This record gives sequence, structure tokens and C-alpha cells, in this order.
Amino acid sequence: MREVIAAPRPGLDLRRHYGHHQSPAIRAGGLIFCSGMLPIDPETGERRHGTLTSEAHVILGNLKLLLEAAGSSLDRLVQVHALIYDSIEYDVLNRVYRQYVANGPPARTVWAAQIEAGFKIQLDVIAAA
Amino acid sequence: MVAARKIIPPPGAEPAAVGSPPPASLAVKGGDFLFVSGLTAVDLKTGARLHGTTASETRQILANLKQLLEAAGSSLDRVVKVNVLLHSMLEAPNMNDVYAQFFPDPPPARTVCGARLPDGAKVIIECTALA
Amino acid sequence: MTEKLQRSTIEPKNPHLHASRRSNLPHVPGIRVGDYIFLSGMTPVDPQTGERSLGPIAEQVRTTLSNMRHMLESAGSSLDRVVRVHVVLADISHMADMERVYREFFPVDPPARTVWSMQLRFGNGCEIECVALAG
Repeated sequence: MREVIAAPRPGLDLRRHYGHHQSPAIRAGGLIFCSGMLPIDPETGERRHGTLTSEAHVILGNLKLLLEAAGSSLDRLVQVHALIYDSIEYDVLNRVYRQYVANGPPARTVWAAQIEAGFKIQLDVIAAA
Repeated sequence: MVAARKIIPPPGAEPAAVGSPPPASLAVKGGDFLFVSGLTAVDLKTGARLHGTTASETRQILANLKQLLEAAGSSLDRVVKVNVLLHSMLEAPNMNDVYAQFFPDPPPARTVCGARLPDGAKVIIECTALA
Repeated sequence: MTEKLQRSTIEPKNPHLHASRRSNLPHVPGIRVGDYIFLSGMTPVDPQTGERSLGPIAEQVRTTLSNMRHMLESAGSSLDRVVRVHVVLADISHMADMERVYREFFPVDPPARTVWSMQLRFGNGCEIECVALAG
């Protein structure tokens, strides 16, 4: 069956803050499918624009909160799509990302894509439940 | 036991032209999940492209998705994750307004981004659903 | 209460195809979890040398998909167990050439697929990612 993982902190409810028709994450079949995580303040939902590095830290902190609330963790990530606004920041992405996946990184594909609100990075992840 | 893989045929489609098998299956069942290809706005019967606005293409895609999922024994409320590709992120609210009409509460997880899409498509939607 | 699924790492038998180890990147070639194998995006790499292998898009796609076949077979799976493919092209006008080669690798009952174009690194013409059923 399909189970909704509710926002563990009020800021992570993007539906309430921005009208995005999505749940923060869904657990099914032993996996957790997360909505693309953005650099927003987990308490207030405010956008935290910055450098790719600062935005990545906010995103990965938010993912840690979300996955741990679901009984999982960043150590149980299986697939990541790392969306970055320009592939020129590839090395910057790696430098910050690596800090969070030291215990066995997952599979990853980097997408140079247009991200909402002019953010520099968004992470789309699947984790083992 | 090794998980089985099964192709879901397109619902109500006319038989494919001889000598031209599709490069992708619309949906593939594997394990607990149904993996649906990125869909563009098409007439499901004929395969003809139906170009329009981002909103109208979103509507066509999701109507098709509903049919496809139901023919496969699934449904929109069993979708776990959706990826939406837009030709421009400026169109995200237009897509979202239509999208919200199709997915009942609570909606699946979703990621939206902008990219260059094939054949002048304004939007492509792919998803994974519980079979 | 169902037991938690364990993740394990997929490695190619051919070490030249272990791009993340060669370049010290924070990802693995693939992860197996439950019934599924999630591969990292693959780009055209010469399996004899591990170096980037560019050239006409048809050759890039052929190289990438051959390497993907090797990666899946190293993990006890195969191309015919692939359920989902993402094909990213640097240039959307390369679709027809990509298609011609793609059909050679998935001739019958092909997986679900989404194709689009984005900026790719290092002059790569394509990047291909897939999800497959474990063997």
C-alpha cells in the first residue's frame, strides 16, 4: 500500500506554503519516494536563496529531517537526481554533497535543469524505507 | 523469487503499423510497481500529437494517464511519484492548476523542472505507480 | 512488520567502467535494493581505456548502452529486465540517430522511457540512466 509521509516540520509542507499539489514523500514497496527537495526554511517555508553550497546544505538538512521522520536516513538513499542550474557548478555540488553521503553514497545522475524560483539546486531522491 | 516484468499494452489503441514497433512501452510492470513512460499530449487511439498550451497538454496527458493506469489495474490514487518536465518553469502554475484537478488527496510525491523537450512538447509527465 | 530492505552496491566487472572510483566522485555505479537495481547515469566511456569516447551521437549511444548492458550483467541482471530508461541528449535534434541505435538494444518489449535534452558536461552527447529488475 501507499503511505504518505507528512511534513515533519511546518516549513516542509509545500502544498500549504506554495500550493504545490504534492505530498512531501510517499512510502510504498519498501521505498520512500521524495518530492524534489528545495532550499526552503524547514520551520517557516521561506525560500533560502544563496550559493549552490548554502542551498545544498539547506536541502540536505531538510532531507535528513524528512527521511528520519519516515524511519529512514540519508545512509539509505538509493537514487538521487541532483538538479543544478548550470553544470559549471558540478565540482561545487560534489564538494558539499559528499559530506552527507560519506557512509556509502547512492546511485546518482546530475541534471542541469531549470529549477523553480531561480534556485540553484534541487534534489530528487528515493531511499530505502 | 525473481520479480516478473510485464509490458502493459496501450488502452484502446489501433494496432501498430507493420514494421514500426514502438521505441518505448507506455508502461511496464516490474515487482510492486508500474513504470510509466514520459507522456506527451497525444490522441491515445491514433498516437497523433495534440499540441496546445501547457495547461491543455497537461490535461490531455493526465486524462490519458488515468486511462492507461486503469487499463493496467492501477489508478491515479496509486501513483507514488511523478516527474514533470516543462519547456519553461514559468508555466509551472498553469501545469499545477490542471494537475491538482486530477490527483486526488493525498497527492503523490513530485519533482518539476524545466528542460528542452522533443517535438515542441510543452510538458512531459512520467510516473511510477503501485501496480 | 516487514523487514527493512538492504541496499548493496553494483560494480562493473570491467574496472574501466567504474567512473566514480576513477574520478573519486560521490556516487556508486548502481545500487541494488529489494527487487530493483538503480544505475547512475552513464555517459560514453571507452570500455578499453575508461576515457571519454565522443564522436557521432550514434556511436556515443551505442557505447553507452553497451556499457549499460555490461553493468547490468555484472549485477546478474540484463537489458531485458530494464523497466525504466531516461535518455538525456545534449542536442534534441539527435533524437532520430539515438532512436536507430536504441532499437538495437531494446528490440522487443522495450522499457518505459523518457527522453529530453539538457546541457551535459564534458561535451558528452548523451547520458543514459535506468532502473532494472534484479536478476
